[in-house]
Amino acid sequence: MSGTGNILQIATATLRNSFRDKTVLLLTVLFLAMVLLSAWLGWSATQTINAIYIAATKALAAKGVVIPPNPVSEGSALSLLRNMSIYIALLGSLAALVFGHLAVAADRKSGVIPLIVSRPLSPNAYAIGKISAIIVAIIGLTIFAAIVNVLTLLILPGLTLSSDTWVRLIGFYGASMLYMSAFALLAAVCAVRFKTESMALLMPMAIWLVLTFVLPQVTANISPMAALNPLSATAALPSGPFFAATDALLGPLSMSEAYRSLSAELLQLSPDNLPRRSISSSLATMIVANLVLGAGLIFSMSRFDASRSDFND
Amino acid sequence: MINRSAQIRTLAKKEISDAARSGIIVAVAGFLFLASIIALGVSAIALHADVMAYDEAKALLLSLGKPIDALVAPTYFPLRLMRGFIEQIEIVGAVLGIVLGYRAAAIERGRNTLALVMTRPISQRVFLAGKLGGNSVLIAISLAVAFLAGLISIIVIGGVSFTGEEYLKVFLSYLASVFYTSSFFILGLVLALHVRRLPHALLYAFAIWLTFVLVAPQIGDTLDPDNQVSGGVFRKLHIAKPQEKEIMLSFSSYETIRNGIEEASPAKHFERLTFALLGIKETYNGLPILKILNERLRDPISLFMIFIAMALLLFVWPINFTRITKET
Repeated sequence: MSGTGNILQIATATLRNSFRDKTVLLLTVLFLAMVLLSAWLGWSATQTINAIYIAATKALAAKGVVIPPNPVSEGSALSLLRNMSIYIALLGSLAALVFGHLAVAADRKSGVIPLIVSRPLSPNAYAIGKISAIIVAIIGLTIFAAIVNVLTLLILPGLTLSSDTWVRLIGFYGASMLYMSAFALLAAVCAVRFKTESMALLMPMAIWLVLTFVLPQVTANISPMAALNPLSATAALPSGPFFAATDALLGPLSMSEAYRSLSAELLQLSPDNLPRRSISSSLATMIVANLVLGAGLIFSMSRFDASRSDFND
Repeated sequence: MINRSAQIRTLAKKEISDAARSGIIVAVAGFLFLASIIALGVSAIALHADVMAYDEAKALLLSLGKPIDALVAPTYFPLRLMRGFIEQIEIVGAVLGIVLGYRAAAIERGRNTLALVMTRPISQRVFLAGKLGGNSVLIAISLAVAFLAGLISIIVIGGVSFTGEEYLKVFLSYLASVFYTSSFFILGLVLALHVRRLPHALLYAFAIWLTFVLVAPQIGDTLDPDNQVSGGVFRKLHIAKPQEKEIMLSFSSYETIRNGIEEASPAKHFERLTFALLGIKETYNGLPILKILNERLRDPISLFMIFIAMALLLFVWPINFTRITKET
């Protein structure tokens, strides 16, 4: 069988096995439920602001005061999707971590790796097959989220989607895919390298915690809970040499900040305050992370001892 | 005659010595310690930078002979520096609890000793009480180290001393964090004792953690109309506070649902209580403890009830020993 055929077979088998796993299904369903919830939240919040505006106009008219414009009409249509970036950063990345982990761990646990390497299949083709499966799964998740969000935007009255809006929307989902695939690849690398399954699961979780909640505090004094909000990417850098140094040194490593910056900019969450990090620098962080982790998976597979492939726990 | 308390003490001691040898626990407790101390240190550095910037601006204005009334001096309330510290405990403390709970069951399942222990003259409840007791001590020690280091950092960095009441406020916040983290310990333990495939227990626990610690409070925030518009919807519409309250009366059901979603989160109760005690929420800053507890009574009660409910679940749900072995 050709190299491409092998890769395709590994990718197809990985996708089939992963979606038979109840945990992957549970997290996928949870993520998709959050996508629907996010759409409802956007709709509900808009309806509430509209209702408050109507109540306020009556009160202001009775006073004879000039009525200001409806705040909903002033904001960008895409800002209704601000929750999506939070759910992708939380549940999307967790689902991606689990998928990336199981893509490799399922083979280690079932003991098929010695059998696979006894076939005419190179470790590189095996790793590329796994990477392809991860990319396909994440594209699938993202397309579902995009369809639900677009339908919500089309249903909401008074919103018009210009060509610029569509380009921004596509850009946002592209960035979301890069963000989730980086975590899936990280989990796959850990699943190859660690001897116990518990550590292989805990290590990517710990890295995710550091990137999401610790690094933003060190680089920009953003408190852990505020670090989830994409608007925090637009806050000015605190004064002083400490933050200037940590931002310059650690900022480019901060995947979560790169994703928040891209979300804030592409969804026009705060048109008056642009994020500190530019689109190109944020994209560079995410693309480099994906390339490094993809190469890391190929390298780790090439050094993997198939005779000791079973986990120790 | 079987001495149950001696059995519980023995099991608890074994838990502590097992955990001390486990690299995972040292790593997670160390991570919590580092994350919380980094949060505190960074807050102190940011405040110091604000003070420096204020002093420079003040000196410049004075040298130009201009008034300094327009400058707002940075406020310094030492306990408020603990905001990031508390939020790290809210997030990482819960993870510490889950990992401890998972480990407490995984260590028995991994060695297939769970069924063996039950063949001894020891009841399931005594066994679980030993696990809970030993790990509660570990949680209390890990958090005490983090809180002590936090307090010492504030005293050293800020050059301040605390009153007896302020120490008591920190101690009550510490107690709240022990109950909060212990609830997540029980969650990790219950799942690892009952879920057929061990790593799946860890995943289910993390999915629950994500939902109740991060997603539920965020939904509550999102549904707050004032968070929907930059600067606040009522300020944008030039609506005064009394009129705002009047308008919001017609949205009382909406507000009840919003608050209900927030209250489903133990993290929100922990945050509301500790933010009030430590004066991080401005309206409670400097208030006496009794007044704060009186106003926020719902939060400590909720935290305690969540812990009790989790403990009941642990002790009442019988373990199927034949179903949970290493192989499954």
